[in-house]
Amino acid sequence: MGEGIFLQVKGITKSFGGVMAVKDMSFEIARGEILGVIGPNGSGKTTLVNLITGFVKPDSGEVFFKHKKITGLPPHKIADLGVTRTFQIMRPYHSLPAFKNLIVPLNSPRIRRTRGGKLGDKDGVAIDILEEIGFERDAYVPYKIASSLPLGYLKRLELARCLALKPEVVICDEIFSGLSMSEISTMVPLIEKLQMEGMTIMMIEHRLRELFRLVNRVMVMNFGEKLAEGVPEEVMENKEVREAYLGTEAALC
Amino acid sequence: MNILIYGTVNSIIFALVAVGFTLVYGVSRLPNFAHGALYVLVGFLTWSMVNDFKLFYPFAILISLGISSLLGALIYRLVLIRLRGLPTSEIIASFAVGLIILEGLRLQGIGGFKGFIGPFYVLPSFIDAKIKIAGVLIDAQRLIVMLGGLAVVVSIWLFTHHTKTGLSLRAIAQDEQAAMMLGIDSDRAAIISLSIGSALAGLAAVIILPLGNVTAEAGYRILINALAVCIIGGLGSWAGAVLASFVLGFAMIISTALFGSVWESVVLVGAIILILIFKPSGLLGKQKELEERV
Repeated sequence: MGEGIFLQVKGITKSFGGVMAVKDMSFEIARGEILGVIGPNGSGKTTLVNLITGFVKPDSGEVFFKHKKITGLPPHKIADLGVTRTFQIMRPYHSLPAFKNLIVPLNSPRIRRTRGGKLGDKDGVAIDILEEIGFERDAYVPYKIASSLPLGYLKRLELARCLALKPEVVICDEIFSGLSMSEISTMVPLIEKLQMEGMTIMMIEHRLRELFRLVNRVMVMNFGEKLAEGVPEEVMENKEVREAYLGTEAALC
Repeated sequence: MNILIYGTVNSIIFALVAVGFTLVYGVSRLPNFAHGALYVLVGFLTWSMVNDFKLFYPFAILISLGISSLLGALIYRLVLIRLRGLPTSEIIASFAVGLIILEGLRLQGIGGFKGFIGPFYVLPSFIDAKIKIAGVLIDAQRLIVMLGGLAVVVSIWLFTHHTKTGLSLRAIAQDEQAAMMLGIDSDRAAIISLSIGSALAGLAAVIILPLGNVTAEAGYRILINALAVCIIGGLGSWAGAVLASFVLGFAMIISTALFGSVWESVVLVGAIILILIFKPSGLLGKQKELEERV
């Protein structure tokens, strides 16, 4: 990859008490790539996200974004550089209308810098972003209080809120979980579109079939370690992976 | 009628005292136990500037408020920032800062400083007049308390709902981690909330203190009052704090009218005990909801 390396993780390790949550993980994501991260529950996927985004400080190892070291920076600084994430459990600002949720990132220093200070009608920009991500403008969904929105919208709101920050890397922590098949089938093209627009995406996911349609590469974690990495078909042929992740001889979806 | 008017004034006094504490706690989950000390400090600073340095009264008030908000920011920057996430230590450290301020004010003999001891320190009323409302004689300062309290509550609401900074403070208050992921600096938010909260403590002081003497001991009482209001209203809930101020304010005035003023403090502490027994999260608190979410 060399030139194309966008986000690079080098030998990152974190233990909680005696438990090695993430053990000597190294990997890279190229610009514009979608990397899927899969693994059984408790294999350290969310800790990995927390390590990259600065919520958890690693015991050792480094994270580089555009060849700049970001380990040790606080989360808001990392977000400011352009690496942001969604949360596994949706965390909208419940008491605010959906579009107001986007005003928070639209006020951030990053937006002031990238958009040259002039944003004009922020509410309008927020609603445009929401519409892009599947909020029907005519149905007044963007104006509804976040806590009254159904799950499918909340997931999209979570993503929209990240996108409002104009990030360069988005880390989606189980963005499909809890969604129905039809809701997922509306999310998939959204993510495809994001990639077409040049976004670099890391997806933590349990829904393998949908994930494999999207990703360029997939990485399998087990007990905090990297078990395998490669194109989905290849990785799923790996016997170790099948055993660790799917149990022995389990059917794939 | 007497009870209604004096109850309202008393309630607003409670609200003024508590609103700064609630704001800080609501935004940053920081219990600022130096709140009462800042309140008293502003009282003495203003007194000193008016009497020792012969400054114009409103000017003295503004400078004191500035100092108080700066102190709030410093308390965070120098002390509390090292203790984030350790609630007990946050309480002890901020209380220690409060103790230093309050006992420092009583210190005698250093560089000719006489110490603020005794009942000689009185801030002048803004307007010296008495007005009759519905047959009840009331001094103008109490009216100013009413209007001031109202103005403070309204302006905080406007600030948090209609400004950029206010919105990011609310974002931090609702979900700190999510806000950080959207590029909001939680330390900056905490500094802002503490300096606003401290300025509010000072504002309460300059509005309320002309009604009586300025004494260092008042710092402890003010802190307890603020705590009582916040516990009863639900920690961190602004609407709850205002509601609790009225409950406490009226309960105190009514009990005084019925049984005598000795019962004032019993009502205060009794209310805390009752609320902790029957609704530990406070009148409008959300602690319960948090538990359910986990």
